[in-house]
Amino acid sequence: MSSFTLDAYQNEYLPLGGTDVNAIVTITSDGSGGPAGAPEAAVILIIDASGSMGVPNRKIKAAREATRVAIDCIRDDVRFGVIAGTDRARLLYPLDGHLAPASAHTREAAKQAVGRLKAGGGTAMGSWLALADQLFATAPGRTCHAILLTDGENQHETPEQLDAVLAQVDGHFQCDCRGVGTDWQVSELRRIASQLLGTVDIIPDAEAMAEDFRTMMSRAMGKTTGNVSLRLWTPQGARVAFVRQVAPTIEELSDRAAQINELTADYPTATWGAEARDYHVCVNVPPRDAGEEMLAGRVSLVEGDQVLGQALIKATWTSDQQLSTRISREVAHYTGQAELADCIQDGLEARKRGDDGTATFKLGRAVQLAAESGNDGTMKLLQAVVEVDDPATGTVRLKRDVAVVDEMSLDTRSTTTVRVGTGAT
Amino acid sequence: MTAVCPNGHESHTADYCDQCGARLGAAGASAPAAGATAVLPVVEEFDTSPSTRRDPCPVCGSARSGDDRYCESCGHDFESPAPLADTWEAVAVADRAQFDRLATADVTFPDGYAERRFALHEGENRIGRSHGRPDEAAPEIDLAAPPLDPGISRLHAVLERRADGTCVVRDLGSTNGTAVNDEPAPIAPHTDVALSDGDRIRIGAWTTITVRRL
Repeated sequence: MSSFTLDAYQNEYLPLGGTDVNAIVTITSDGSGGPAGAPEAAVILIIDASGSMGVPNRKIKAAREATRVAIDCIRDDVRFGVIAGTDRARLLYPLDGHLAPASAHTREAAKQAVGRLKAGGGTAMGSWLALADQLFATAPGRTCHAILLTDGENQHETPEQLDAVLAQVDGHFQCDCRGVGTDWQVSELRRIASQLLGTVDIIPDAEAMAEDFRTMMSRAMGKTTGNVSLRLWTPQGARVAFVRQVAPTIEELSDRAAQINELTADYPTATWGAEARDYHVCVNVPPRDAGEEMLAGRVSLVEGDQVLGQALIKATWTSDQQLSTRISREVAHYTGQAELADCIQDGLEARKRGDDGTATFKLGRAVQLAAESGNDGTMKLLQAVVEVDDPATGTVRLKRDVAVVDEMSLDTRSTTTVRVGTGAT
Repeated sequence: MTAVCPNGHESHTADYCDQCGARLGAAGASAPAAGATAVLPVVEEFDTSPSTRRDPCPVCGSARSGDDRYCESCGHDFESPAPLADTWEAVAVADRAQFDRLATADVTFPDGYAERRFALHEGENRIGRSHGRPDEAAPEIDLAAPPLDPGISRLHAVLERRADGTCVVRDLGSTNGTAVNDEPAPIAPHTDVALSDGDRIRIGAWTTITVRRL
């Protein structure tokens, strides 16, 4: 098990009558314990085998290759399986319907079975996830992780069917989603990944698939602590305005709260390896008199009922405006990063609608925010969609001809943030 | 082992009160003049004498101790305005029929929209979508969560519950307007329109908000 450090960054001083307490909580996990101390794990690779994967044929070839690379990364004794997805889900390996313990022998057998991955049929991702859920149930008590690859839209089931499956499997396993090419829907994969606490990304070129799969599987194997929740206590009369993960990506957690008692709720954070994540917590508290100090929130990281670490969010009321008007650098930074993601998504949506005015304004603001915060990765993606005249003022022109792949990359990666202080500002 | 906070709560945590968040240990400027222990509420104190007896919590019915501002069990704020006799709620859904009727180009109907319920409190309940910025108060009826109806303005309309028990809707000059029930024309902006139980407010490309008296 990892050891965890929690730190809260905030300006605890509120003006008289002030109610909003903002804090950034940084959680660092050292990933200690190593694979030996790691939770027992199970992984399933879910590979799209719809007809479109065969057009061009190198897409399905690349998928086979990437799946084999990922299989080679699976640690001994981790239970694993491979699913081929079309308009229904088919088990490629192991055929007996029980996840196999990884060994030199089973990895070889699975790699052979991947040769039977042939393109043909439709796409019904809900059925793929439902089969994965059944398989994970054959390895109870393990930390479960799926990797889903698709190249198209979820055409052969209704959105309601997919929603029903997501509700049913939520909390059973984590799922990283990857879209290859440009015929898939960003919103669809984002919905799956965010419900199942995984990542979503685009693989523009099939050739890059193997490397991405290697990274994803290695990261899954590097998890040293299982099901961890962020627990937030707030005092009587307070209201949690929002809880969101803000680094490495923005994930809204407010609607994922599981109430523990009147004053305490748990928010899921899934599994941890050696990594750091930042969370933005905003609590509304009833105002008190000048000089009064109160605890506005107690943030702890828990696994079951074991507390792995905690940080305090405080509030002190003051008539000294010098103190109360200061904005914490961390809070300001991540408020900007959240606005950046919103601006990109709103801007791209407006662009699709043909509302060039709104698109120019939103994407211009995004350029300005990316420049201010030193988010070079996002800036580069923005530059593929707009001509930047002046990043400081956010003056941009929409490009007339934008490659679909550039637009989708920007959309998919719009929620990727940079950590405070790491930017080149 | 428990500590007692300046507000008289027994706390299982030693740094700050696990009920009200008050600082424990150091008696700061906020501590009552009489000292923390002297104001400890004693059960007999509010149970025997009718003049000091406190009504139980109107929300959960628990006994109320001393001058506590907040209910020990449910956190209800006793100083908040007394709840009105009847309660109203607003339920937002994605309305296929409305979407089809408007048939707005380039807007797609959301796949999967969980019904959103909002309790209407006395006074103004704003309908809109927040920006998620901490320096900005979110509207009470915040429809910013995805799937987002692109036709809803940031500050779209207000549902007002009046002290006399009536409820009205008022458009705040929204871009795409507000309509009530099956009336095709939007209501005039900045004008109160009376609502009754079960009325439907149509906004944006596919959002319908039904108000209900419970």
